[in-house]
Amino acid sequence: MAAITAFSPRTVPAVLRHRAVHKLALLVLAAAVLVPLATARWTGGAWPEALTVDLTSPLTKASTWIVDNRDTHPLFLYFFGHVSNAIVLSVRAVYLVLLAAGWAGVTALSALVAWRVAGLRLALGTVAAFLTCGLLGMWVPTMQTLALMVVAVAASVVVGALLGLAGGLSDRLNKALRPVLDTMQVLPAYAYLLPVVLVFGMGVPAAVLATVVYAAPPMARLTALGLRGADHEVLEAVRSLGATARQRLLTARIPLARKELLLGLNQTIMMALSMAVIASVIGAGGLGDRVYQALASVDVGAALAAGIPIVLLAVVLDRVTGAAGSGSTSSSETRRSGWPYALVAALAIAVAARLMGRLDWPDAWTVGIAEPVNRAVDWMTDHLYSGVPVIGGTADWAAHFTTWVLNPLRDGLTWLPWWSVLLVVAALAWLIGTWQTALTAVLSMAAIGVLGVWTPALDTLSQVLAAVAVTLVIGFATGIAAARSDRLERALRPVLDVFQTMPQFVYLIPVVALFGVGRAPAVAAAVVYALPAVVRITTQGLRQVDPAAMESSSSLGATSWQQLRQVQLPLARPALLLAVNQGVVLVLAVVIIGGLVGGGALGYDVVFGLAQGDLATGLVAGAAIVCLGLMLDRVTQPTERRTKKGA
Amino acid sequence: MSDAVVSETPVFSVNGLWKVFGPKADRIPADPELTALDPAGLRARTGCTAAVRDVSFDVRKGEVFVVMGLSGSGKSTLVRCLTRLIEPTAGTIAIDGEDVRAMDKSRLRELRRHRAAMVFQHFGLLPHRTVLDNVAYGLEIQGVGKAERRARAAEVVAKVGLEGMEQRRPSQLSGGQRQRVGLARALAVDPEVLLFDEPFSALDPLIRRDMQEEVVRLHREEGRTMVFITHDLSEALKLGDRIALMRDGKVVQLGTPEEIVGSPADDYVREFVRDVPREQVLTVRTAMRTPSDGDAVTGPAVAPDATVSEAIEAVARAGEPARVVDEGRCVGVVDADGLLGVVAGTAKEAV
Repeated sequence: MAAITAFSPRTVPAVLRHRAVHKLALLVLAAAVLVPLATARWTGGAWPEALTVDLTSPLTKASTWIVDNRDTHPLFLYFFGHVSNAIVLSVRAVYLVLLAAGWAGVTALSALVAWRVAGLRLALGTVAAFLTCGLLGMWVPTMQTLALMVVAVAASVVVGALLGLAGGLSDRLNKALRPVLDTMQVLPAYAYLLPVVLVFGMGVPAAVLATVVYAAPPMARLTALGLRGADHEVLEAVRSLGATARQRLLTARIPLARKELLLGLNQTIMMALSMAVIASVIGAGGLGDRVYQALASVDVGAALAAGIPIVLLAVVLDRVTGAAGSGSTSSSETRRSGWPYALVAALAIAVAARLMGRLDWPDAWTVGIAEPVNRAVDWMTDHLYSGVPVIGGTADWAAHFTTWVLNPLRDGLTWLPWWSVLLVVAALAWLIGTWQTALTAVLSMAAIGVLGVWTPALDTLSQVLAAVAVTLVIGFATGIAAARSDRLERALRPVLDVFQTMPQFVYLIPVVALFGVGRAPAVAAAVVYALPAVVRITTQGLRQVDPAAMESSSSLGATSWQQLRQVQLPLARPALLLAVNQGVVLVLAVVIIGGLVGGGALGYDVVFGLAQGDLATGLVAGAAIVCLGLMLDRVTQPTERRTKKGA
Repeated sequence: MSDAVVSETPVFSVNGLWKVFGPKADRIPADPELTALDPAGLRARTGCTAAVRDVSFDVRKGEVFVVMGLSGSGKSTLVRCLTRLIEPTAGTIAIDGEDVRAMDKSRLRELRRHRAAMVFQHFGLLPHRTVLDNVAYGLEIQGVGKAERRARAAEVVAKVGLEGMEQRRPSQLSGGQRQRVGLARALAVDPEVLLFDEPFSALDPLIRRDMQEEVVRLHREEGRTMVFITHDLSEALKLGDRIALMRDGKVVQLGTPEEIVGSPADDYVREFVRDVPREQVLTVRTAMRTPSDGDAVTGPAVAPDATVSEAIEAVARAGEPARVVDEGRCVGVVDADGLLGVVAGTAKEAV
């Protein structure tokens, strides 16, 4: 004991020297000066009125001006008008081609591509997926979505690849682009909808453009990454042989970046699908629109009938493009030989179907699942919603969750004085990241207050916090279990694969069936959406812990619990922080969409703004969503971030 | 070292070469106060690192010139300066008398395409191309047509012993085979000089020996000038006609293997060559004494550039001193005592 007391004077300054304490002390100091000033000026807990800026009237004016001048102003006539027309025409053209090919032709050609790129099994899967779309009576909407996707993906790839090329070749451009692209990737899809609607109005052009804006960043990021990541010595060797800059780019840098380029294509397609579905809110027809309409009238059966094709499309597109990226080059060379025959066969099928007059999917072959599903949902409503002995019903759970978790959380947040919220944000962001991230986080949060949507933003925040908490508890537990058991990991992998490829929108369907509408279902959808990424990152992080460290600890006789607590978890800390960050970002994206199923708050404002043509409300809410996304990302942003997004 | 060689224009002539990394690197070679500083001092004072400091040497036609030093001694930077893969800070470089530093972009490209080709430590192969296309790559850069470059590449592939592997990809080859591809790619453009940057240090010892012998064979067959960078002393002694030993960016000694081992210029070099089996590097010139009248004329004959270990074998077999015979003339005599003195390191250090 004597020895310990003797040492204690030395340990105290050591604690003080700790960086975290340092930061907090500085923050407390700043707060001690600023808070009394602030409270003296503006009393009350909510964001002071004096500090808000009302953007409604200027925004309304702007949108009215745009609506008035859309047909006359040269900017619209000669620029936006052409863009808009080009999009409409190309989507229309692709759509007509798809219809002209007929269902048999489209299926056969898709199967052909899948076979060449990814093998026989995926080709069969593709056929099954397309036939299911037809069987569900969703052939035409599927083709509408596909047509929109084709145009959006083509544009995204071109834009993304050009930006990526610029970023890959020029250090200065890369420095300028990186933070923008990074930020664009953490923002919820919803935030992109309103600005394009403001300029283009509701409809296909707006939907395609929103999709391009959302889907191009991964292509740009990965292109730049691939070009920059090329083996330094290979490039030097190429230079030593006297290659010109152009030869270097074409014969070395681009081929060396092949893997990243294909991964970029894969991510762009997945993001585009996700957005093309969400963009139904601003007038993109197709599958998303069917889901949207069905959810609006709480018709779960119809929503499911349109949701299944979305999921199938997502899985097929992801697997096929993923296989193209990972496929070894030698095997693709041997496959190339069969191309002409297969192409002829597919064309023959298409022509045959055409000659037989079977262009449209025959009505007789459709299976209406809406009816039985709705009956099942009705049964569930009657039997599972409430009053199930002992465990209660799903609606009871939702109600309890709302009463005991969401409401207290929301009330607590709104009760907190506004400056204390800013302080907490600053403290968290600074402890985990740097003073720059802290500053961005605080400024974003303050901007929400200035925009005058402090209260709805806190409502959204309370849902996000609740969902993140649930996600992390379940996700970490599952992740740790999967990291310790190979069997569990193998069993989970296909499930996670499918869940990670599904567009956000689809998650709303089952939760509405189970929990009805309200804030709790929005939270549930967010949890389900974010969970796979959290589980996956946690498992990977724990598994990648240096085996030598594990071995040395077990050689010292550590129990597996000690090993987990003292070796794996500390060493996997960066991965766990990343899991938190991803969890937060993904949860926010879905909580916002939850506005469609009664989640209220900012998401609802956006939907309301769109539905009522009240763009000012929607734009303010959209800006607040951007700020909230920025804030949440920066608060949880570890100093080094991974290059690839989890979902 | 004969007069005939010296009169020819050297392939590479390097004079007062500097490469300084860091802010405002240009001022350092010109400032005598700064050039006098040691690396740590220079770094503390200016934030710059001098990787190559005032290096001068000539590479003669047909020789294997080895630059040897430990990691961080600046040898890799030096070889990259020769074709300006790294831009030198000061000094002159001439190839066949032509100023390399004055070359414009296209002239420099010509130099890299036709006159100097490089072999890299980690091979630097293009993973998406076959062996044949990797070897043909230099020709492709030059704009040679597909059929011709493939035909020429196939010849070189055979020359380095990779027949039958033309259609494989680098990932399907072993380390030694990959470096043969790297070597073939450099040979395919038929350069005047081959530059090797630690080409074998990533290979297993046995493979490394094979590859060294391959280089020796190629040099014997073609007589191509080579600049060879290595950190491996035995490799340097085995391959080098002359060796430049570098430390902290400076050349501390430049000479034949025998000169380096037999008479180290300073304690650093002496420490470096301490464990070298001297009898395998030093020639009988070191061990011989001038013949006196009492010497028998019956002893076995050895050439003056035979190694000491060869002489030991001859002396041991014959049981009497050996005569050193140069072009039919007896120039000296080696006996057991003299040879032992070399092995023990007690003989005088002058050559």
